[in-house]
Amino acid sequence: MHESMSDSLSVTAGHRRPPAVNAHKKREALTAYVFLAPWFLGLFVITVGPILASLYLSFTDYSLLEEGSWVGADNYVKMFTQDDRFLTSLKVTTIYVVVSVPLQLAFALLLALALDRGLRGLSFYRSIYYLPSLLGGSVAIAILWRKLFGVDGLFNAVLAVFGIEGPGWVSDPDTALGTLILLHVWTFGAPMVIFLAGLRQIPQSYYEAASVDGASRLRQFRSITLPLLTPIIFFNLVLEVIKSFQSFTQSFIVSGGNGGPVDSTLFYTLYLYLKGFKSYEMGYAAAMAWVLLLIIAGLTGVNFLASKYWVFYGDTK
Amino acid sequence: MSLGSRKKMWTVALMTAAVMTTASACGGGSGGDSGGSGDKVKIVFSYWGSDARQKLTEQALKKFEEKNPTIDVEGDFSNWDSYYEKLATKVAANDAPDVMSIEIRGLSEYAGRGALADLAGKVPSADLDQQVLSSGQVEGKQYAIPTGVNAFSMLANPSVLEKSKQKLPDDKTWTWDQWIELAKQISAGGGGVMGAEYNPNPAWLQIFAAQRGEKFYDGNKIGLSVDTIKAWWNISQQLIAAKAAPEPAKSAELLTAGPEQSLLATNAGAMGMWWSNQLNALSKASGQELELLRMPREKGAPTAGMFLQPAMYYTASAKSEHSAEAAKLIDFLVNDPDAASILLSDRGLPTNSKVLAAVKDKLPPVDQRTLAFIDEVKGELTPITAPPKGALQMEDILKRNTDEVLFGKTTPDAGAQKFLSEANAAIAG
Repeated sequence: MHESMSDSLSVTAGHRRPPAVNAHKKREALTAYVFLAPWFLGLFVITVGPILASLYLSFTDYSLLEEGSWVGADNYVKMFTQDDRFLTSLKVTTIYVVVSVPLQLAFALLLALALDRGLRGLSFYRSIYYLPSLLGGSVAIAILWRKLFGVDGLFNAVLAVFGIEGPGWVSDPDTALGTLILLHVWTFGAPMVIFLAGLRQIPQSYYEAASVDGASRLRQFRSITLPLLTPIIFFNLVLEVIKSFQSFTQSFIVSGGNGGPVDSTLFYTLYLYLKGFKSYEMGYAAAMAWVLLLIIAGLTGVNFLASKYWVFYGDTK
Repeated sequence: MSLGSRKKMWTVALMTAAVMTTASACGGGSGGDSGGSGDKVKIVFSYWGSDARQKLTEQALKKFEEKNPTIDVEGDFSNWDSYYEKLATKVAANDAPDVMSIEIRGLSEYAGRGALADLAGKVPSADLDQQVLSSGQVEGKQYAIPTGVNAFSMLANPSVLEKSKQKLPDDKTWTWDQWIELAKQISAGGGGVMGAEYNPNPAWLQIFAAQRGEKFYDGNKIGLSVDTIKAWWNISQQLIAAKAAPEPAKSAELLTAGPEQSLLATNAGAMGMWWSNQLNALSKASGQELELLRMPREKGAPTAGMFLQPAMYYTASAKSEHSAEAAKLIDFLVNDPDAASILLSDRGLPTNSKVLAAVKDKLPPVDQRTLAFIDEVKGELTPITAPPKGALQMEDILKRNTDEVLFGKTTPDAGAQKFLSEANAAIAG
């Protein structure tokens, strides 16, 4: 091994360049793989292995406590034909994603535009607005939310000043999901930071030219900012759709772990967890995980297909 | 790039890989059973609870190790919320604790799936309350030994009652209608105090159903009739309509917040239904003396319907390599006064008559009152059996359907039908 290594080394230093470069590249690739080996090991043992195992389990009635037996596609069929709560969870999650993602992105874009106008102490504001993104998925915030929007919570105390008697926002089935959507919108920081970066990349000269032509600010936003920002919007959209479909903590903590009241906050992942760990239907839960994967992959695919019609890449045309 | 640095690079890469592999290998093996501690046998005992319980349990385990120098017990503690997940995962990984705490609703789940060992003849049980002991049997096998007992009962705060100029009722004869009426009077009496708080606990429905001659679980089916469920919901509906109890949203919040935040515990309510072992925590939070009462009855009910529920059970893993030691630990925990004088009533009041006699005087006053209460109602109690598999989900199912009815999302008729079909599906699975 050492022999051949030093041999090839001397070749590198020699005259026959093309093959040498080739050999050099190969060796570099090999080196890279050796360095990556620990990560690959983790990927295959900790990630890919269990993923494939869960695919197998999804076709069994594995209960966690005892071995399962093969049941074919039963789990998948049951999900869509007999399980009302599954359909409820799908509905709740879809409403959550469809309402909260656009709101969150709009809010993020609005703030990014405001911050982009050469505000003093920008980095300070950026950090402040980014903070909720770091905290939003946490248990502490979910508990705070429960307190804030309780019957005797701060929010109702404020409403009381104006003579309004608010409901128990988190404990009333009509409003509980709304509070979770609000929580999600509140975590606008991550897309906002990305929008800010995107805004910075739009050449100032475009705006100058537009001003000379007498375009209003609104017109400038519609004709310059928005089109040039579409790749960023697209990126944020894909990311946030995936992220919000997988939301778990908010619903778990705010509802006290059961998706209540009356299943109004029964997120898909929460129901999956309840099936696997509370009802001991791990095979069913595994099947649900695969359906979720297909849903997310499908939506992302649709997103990419649709992007052809509205996303504008400055360098392609 | 020189040969030296290249060689160094390879070495570093390989060493990193080696370190990672060994590290992950170690991680997997550290949970292993025997070995390690010389010729001592090591067993694992899993339980859930509060910090206070953990301290008491550690003390008791130390005492056991003193008495059995060849056994080393490792307490595997977790909080209630994650207990069953952790336990199920360990059982699935063939790494089940030798001795496991399980409560009555999980018993059939674990016994039925072959995770538990039959303890008949292995753990002496002659001095235990035989009726309570029999609730630890599944299909005729003694899979579980009760740790102690609780009773689901009505708790009242006499001083709050007094403030609204009401008297404690005679709990031997009172009916649900009288209870509702009393709650109304208290709420109406001013002072901002609620008369009652309700709670969709299956234990309450079980008692209510027994008073109407129905069983919650009848073999592998739900034995409740639609009428009974509707009548039971009607009690809460009447309370809410008369503002004798908080509205459903507030109730839901109180329930999530736990006993210490309840109306009774914060002296904002006069009556509530709780397990007798919660009297301690509730009294502490309220700072006032609370009274244990019998549950109200249906008019002309043949039985009070109340029952003694084992707070939890000790069980042993069917796959334990040290079943003799596991049995010894359970024996110590339920039969040895030394254990009981440390644990006292933390896992329910002991049912071993000899142990109880030995530790009676050491019990705190609140527990002595609970003991007196249980003695008083003993003759009226209904024996219970372990509910079928799926009972762990019953509380959630009942709560969800109760919420739907109380929030007006469905009619009581439809709600009762839905509850029955969901509950039956859960225990059939």
